[in-house]
Amino acid sequence: MIDINNVDFSYSRHTKLLSGLSLQLEAGRIHGLLGKNGEGKSTLLKLISGLDFPSKGKIEVMGLNPLKRQPELLVEIFFLPEELPQLNLSIENYEKVYSPFYPNFSLEQFNQYLKEFEIESKTDMLNKLSHGQKKKVMIAFGLATNTKLLLMDEPTNGLDIPSKGQFRRMVASGLSDDRCLLISTHQVHDLDSLIDNIIIMDGHEIVFNQTIENIAAKLIFKVSDRKEQDDSVIYSEDTLRGLYQVCENRTSTESKVDIELLFNAIFANKNRIKQLFQ
Amino acid sequence: MNTTFSFNRLVLMLKRYFIENKNKEIMYWGILILVFTLMHKAETAKSILYIMGFIFAAKQFKIFAYTPGGMHYLLIPATHLEKLISNILLTTVYFFTMMVIVYSIGNIVGTSLYNLIFSHSDPVTWEFFNSANTHSFGNSFDLIQGNAFFSMIVTFLTIQSIFMLGSVYFKRGALGRTWLTLFAFTILIGIIELFILKGLFGGMSTIRNMNSINIMSDSSTTITMIENGFKIFSYLLIPYLWLVTYFRLTEKQV
Repeated sequence: MIDINNVDFSYSRHTKLLSGLSLQLEAGRIHGLLGKNGEGKSTLLKLISGLDFPSKGKIEVMGLNPLKRQPELLVEIFFLPEELPQLNLSIENYEKVYSPFYPNFSLEQFNQYLKEFEIESKTDMLNKLSHGQKKKVMIAFGLATNTKLLLMDEPTNGLDIPSKGQFRRMVASGLSDDRCLLISTHQVHDLDSLIDNIIIMDGHEIVFNQTIENIAAKLIFKVSDRKEQDDSVIYSEDTLRGLYQVCENRTSTESKVDIELLFNAIFANKNRIKQLFQ
Repeated sequence: MNTTFSFNRLVLMLKRYFIENKNKEIMYWGILILVFTLMHKAETAKSILYIMGFIFAAKQFKIFAYTPGGMHYLLIPATHLEKLISNILLTTVYFFTMMVIVYSIGNIVGTSLYNLIFSHSDPVTWEFFNSANTHSFGNSFDLIQGNAFFSMIVTFLTIQSIFMLGSVYFKRGALGRTWLTLFAFTILIGIIELFILKGLFGGMSTIRNMNSINIMSDSSTTITMIENGFKIFSYLLIPYLWLVTYFRLTEKQV
């Protein structure tokens, strides 16, 4: 679905934001793009959608070059940015104006998603809604477009706690075999049990790209009462609730992947994790 | 799917503009009807056409001033050509048609009210469309003679294309920055023109002794060539600026 090869990108001549970045993403998965602030997550989404152009390297989305911004590709991409545009339109008119551009748009789904988000009136003006409400409308619209590629930049920012759960349910239900969802976030808990492929950026490059199954097969996430000193421990975090550990899975034990712990483990012990997954 | 141009997508782009700007447009044209009711002289109408025209054109790509707006616009599934044509149609055909309509309404209402209040029986005049008059705005396009209305259209289209390019070129403050660029460009052209005249007619004293009437009435080949060259330049400038706007749009990053 997405093929990024050896891409360089910079906003200024002196500082490179991305250098030699390569990434392949498959359809039928929800990819979580994680990383600290300023690592280039949003830029990567912009490059994929053709909003920014790489200074070097090649990007292909569904076999097409996003730089050309051809309608045949754009009808298959929906990008939900972190900050939303100021649109002087009612929800109803937004749907009326933009849905005809997307051939697979489903009004039924759009209404259903709005209902789930408890947005009752479609006559409300978008620029009068709160950031969270506006985001809900955009998420509902994005999912209802049924585009093959859905890019979301910090989608849960501004959503209240119940809405985050609704968001997870809706996104999970919106996935199909030919659809690829790439969600960039630093709110890792919001994507818990949603994403099935974790991509981590550090130092402006991809340092980790593994499926949840693969992670669960190679790592154990557990809470211990006391510090275990065996050499399987990759990372541990002492908290009031106990000692959270990421260990090598030598016994094929099943455990739930704790994304936040994994994220911290990668930053603390990058080389060991890299070796383990090679 | 047609990847170059689709009439359907063009219509959708125009529909998008009208639905998003419905209230603004109603208010804007309503105010202009009021203005034309009070002032419906041809010169006033033409000045308003140019001034409001470049303000309108400079706002066409205002959406890029705010990054999420620009992102949203660029990701609308339509080609750059369709996006450009929709903006050209809005800044030229739509704007000019609306100007003609509101001028006509204002003119009729204004003249009728004047006759009613001051017990006159003045007929409604349509100076704005009078092509027999020589078009004179003190600008360089005075050289385009023969049809004042046509000349006015050329001037209008040139202004619109310049400011539309300015609106896609400058991220913020397109109106002011385009004016500044035009100012700098005019000075540059002025200097070049001075050198050309100096080269053609000799020293500065010869140029000072000549006046414009002398130049215009001179039927020498050089003057005719300059005049024709300027005509061709002014006609070609419009599509050239549209072409530059198109390329600027294709390479736009947000």
